[in-house]
Amino acid sequence: MQEATFLILTALADGSQHGYGIITEVQEISGGRVRLRAGTLYTALDRLRADGLIEVDREEIVEGRLRRYYRLTPEGTRRLAAEAARLQANARAALTRLKPSGVVT
Amino acid sequence: MTGSPKLERRYRRVLACYPKAFRRESGEEVLAVLLATAAEGQRRAGLAESVDLIRGALRMHLGLSRSPRPVRNAVRLMCAGAVLTLAALVTVLVTLGRVRAGYVQDPDAGPWPTFVLTQIVPVLASAPIGAGVWLWLAGANGRGYNWARPAFTAFAGLLTTGLLIGFGEGGGEDALPSTWPDVTAAAVLWLVGLAAVVLIYSEAASPYYQRRAATRAATPANGTGR
Repeated sequence: MQEATFLILTALADGSQHGYGIITEVQEISGGRVRLRAGTLYTALDRLRADGLIEVDREEIVEGRLRRYYRLTPEGTRRLAAEAARLQANARAALTRLKPSGVVT
Repeated sequence: MTGSPKLERRYRRVLACYPKAFRRESGEEVLAVLLATAAEGQRRAGLAESVDLIRGALRMHLGLSRSPRPVRNAVRLMCAGAVLTLAALVTVLVTLGRVRAGYVQDPDAGPWPTFVLTQIVPVLASAPIGAGVWLWLAGANGRGYNWARPAFTAFAGLLTTGLLIGFGEGGGEDALPSTWPDVTAAAVLWLVGLAAVVLIYSEAASPYYQRRAATRAATPANGTGR
């Protein structure tokens, strides 16, 4: 799973979000490192919807503009959990092996 | 939310690059996000932003956002085929002076204008058409049209025939000299086509074409290919 995809799914993990909300959430989750642009975001959302990992939750009109909220599907939740566990296991292995070098405590 | 009417018009112009079905479904939503992320007083779309949007539009036209990996790779190969075809055209144009110099020194050669008409012009005319066919079939396969697979196979068959004829003739009396770069270029193009055929008929690709066909059959009014 690509990092952008992982971050988008993570942004939706604790509730539905609209496009702009996902961008700000992803920026926050990544500590400001990843700032999604609209083209990248909607290509990813289109793919995630086609893959059945996210779905439209609801739509609102705010200040005359369409705001569509997305949420994880059960399959999306399962895939995100599996990916998070995989990354966690890899990170743990890396940190364990780095301990003797003294770089990490 | 920021964004002047001028900025909105400019964003709409860039969004016009997207497939119609996507614009109908998500155009206003993307526009709202673009305006929400615009800086205060911003009057035009930034270069990086425009490149990102155009890249996204291209990916959607080519079906790269929804297709499975083998189809995505096949589409990329088909795009490479288009680029290689156009590269052949550029090569002919760049080396034309050298070819002419060699040709006019040959006492047995026919008139140069005849050679240009029979050998050079067909190459120059067919390259853009060939590149167009590569791209058209790339888009059709990327969007999962069932007919696109046999169509591309037939196209690859034409490439094979062309390659075999090229090998067989070894160049007629007035033909362009068949140098090893020509043969290599034709063989590379053929291999690109062959690899794409293998990918679109792979086990992981077939369900995608069947699913897309079923989706289109279920929603004929919205069967725009996305």
